[in-house]
Amino acid sequence: MTILMSEVPPIRKEDIAPQRPWSRRPASFWFAAFLGTAVPFAIFGGLFFVTELPVPVLLIAFYLPLQLIGAGLAGYSAKGKHGIADSSIIVLAIGATTLSAIVLGSMLLIIIVRGFAAMRPSFIFQNSVYISPSTPLEYGGIGHAIVGTFLIVGIATIISVPFGIATAVYVTEIRGRAVPYVRFFIQAMSGVPSVVAGLFVLTVFILTGVLSQSAIAAAIAYAILMLPTVARTAEEVLKLVPEDLRTGALALGSTRARVVLNVVIPAARTGIITAMLLGIARVVGETAPLLLTALKNDQTVLNPLSDPISALPTFIFDNVAQPYPDAVTRAWGAALALMILVSILFTVTRFLSARKPRR
Amino acid sequence: MEETVVAMEELDVELSAAKVETKPIEMSTKGVSVWFGKRKILENVNIDFQKKSVTALIGPSGCGKSTFIRTLNRLHELIPGAALAGEVLYEGEDIYRQDVDPVQIRLSIGMVFQKPNPFPSMTIRGNVLSGLKLSGIKRPDHDSLVEQTLTSAGLWKEVKDRLNSPAGDLSGGQQQRLVIARALAVNPHVLLMDEPCSALDPASTLKIEETIRQLSKDITIIIVTHNMQQAVRVSDYTAFFLAEENQPGYVVEQGPTTEIFGNPRDQRTLDYVNGRFG
Repeated sequence: MTILMSEVPPIRKEDIAPQRPWSRRPASFWFAAFLGTAVPFAIFGGLFFVTELPVPVLLIAFYLPLQLIGAGLAGYSAKGKHGIADSSIIVLAIGATTLSAIVLGSMLLIIIVRGFAAMRPSFIFQNSVYISPSTPLEYGGIGHAIVGTFLIVGIATIISVPFGIATAVYVTEIRGRAVPYVRFFIQAMSGVPSVVAGLFVLTVFILTGVLSQSAIAAAIAYAILMLPTVARTAEEVLKLVPEDLRTGALALGSTRARVVLNVVIPAARTGIITAMLLGIARVVGETAPLLLTALKNDQTVLNPLSDPISALPTFIFDNVAQPYPDAVTRAWGAALALMILVSILFTVTRFLSARKPRR
Repeated sequence: MEETVVAMEELDVELSAAKVETKPIEMSTKGVSVWFGKRKILENVNIDFQKKSVTALIGPSGCGKSTFIRTLNRLHELIPGAALAGEVLYEGEDIYRQDVDPVQIRLSIGMVFQKPNPFPSMTIRGNVLSGLKLSGIKRPDHDSLVEQTLTSAGLWKEVKDRLNSPAGDLSGGQQQRLVIARALAVNPHVLLMDEPCSALDPASTLKIEETIRQLSKDITIIIVTHNMQQAVRVSDYTAFFLAEENQPGYVVEQGPTTEIFGNPRDQRTLDYVNGRFG
């Protein structure tokens, strides 16, 4: 008998600990990685102070190529030839991500810095009645615009999400004869300029006297803009639901309606919520349709059916062009508030949708 | 179950007569334990794999066989949270040593998976040659390489007239033989097979078993299987894995397949190979 358990004495439990030998690197790797990063960075820093070339140019033309060479050397020292390709890919990916992060991050930073000057409880909770552009920051706020944004986006979501999901169900579940046309139409609709959506509502609903300029009119314009995003995303996530689940449910004697409602849509729930969030993200900052359909109002309006209403984008639009520094600061503050609201909304929705299925 | 027992007894007589020769050791594991996060999956596995032989890893589902086979060509480490202790020796060297390139290890130790996974965007011929392209290996005379590996995998006759049609057109069994050919084209010394026949019909299974027997003349094969008759039919050595509920898996017994199936020393092995549980 050549191989038996008993040949090797059993190792006692306390002798062995889990290890990750694959994440160990030789010291020469760390040295090369440090050098390969520090030297390009030093050259980048030197050129920045000496040449006055813009930072992105320096990053792309000087820092990144040098960093690539440095990473290649580090990779070579750890893994030989194969390490070069792997480390270059990693550096390129990190480089591209960092560049986008710098661009987006600097915008975020300026909104936070400028907007923070306006932040105080009264700014969030008060409305702008009796407030002129020259009124100091201590008075007035964007409470009415926050309420307006919630009202308009909320109604637009209630309108567009059912329509969007229904369209997606038609395309993926019912698979009717018109599917190619529907998909083409949705694709084309996603290119509608937002001002055209506003004009459409203005001519069809407002000038004909059906609606006045109000939250509901603005919500219809928003819903038109949201619909293609919601429908398209929902279609993609419904397509990801495995066909086996559908046949499995049908084999249990389910009707097609039950398959869609009880199996397919619940299976795609997280994705459908993503579709909704993408739709909201698409419209929440749109200004042009509101200028035509909601106008503005310094009062807090709770009735979506009748009165003109301000929302955060229109508030920003109104204040940013004023020749008074306090008004401009209010606009930055409203931009910051809009960003924070969207982040809170997305975080809360993600948190709720990540729950485990109920028993 | 009765059939199984009868088949075993017949084979028993046949195989006991066959002499089990000892060959040099190609791979071995020394005290291998495996974790995912804090959960220990395998404890202290010590197996020697002999050159140009077939070793079957058997045992009930969830006892860590598939996890174990993935530690043998360093695919295990790709799973986040994976950890390991002990040594995996290939030609006497620990493949987890710091200066070992996992790419080189996977070139020498190929793998075939449970579900056939030919690359759908490539032709049959393209799939066979894909290993060369992906690893940057140059080998002369692609045509004869394609013919030779497809012949070894037992697929040549069926596909020689349509080498340039998409791999997705093949049946499941043909696809599995295609990925075996693909694995062979980079000229591995060891071939790992993780339940290669579990998704196939009996005819395709038989073809793949023939292929395994043929291949074992040239390379070392380690195969995870749930099919005990298959282990008897194709393997020279067998290791029986077992895991109690929520406990890490371990090797109960290992040795020549004739011993494990004909004259096991552990009651649990006897029960398992006779189909009494698992």
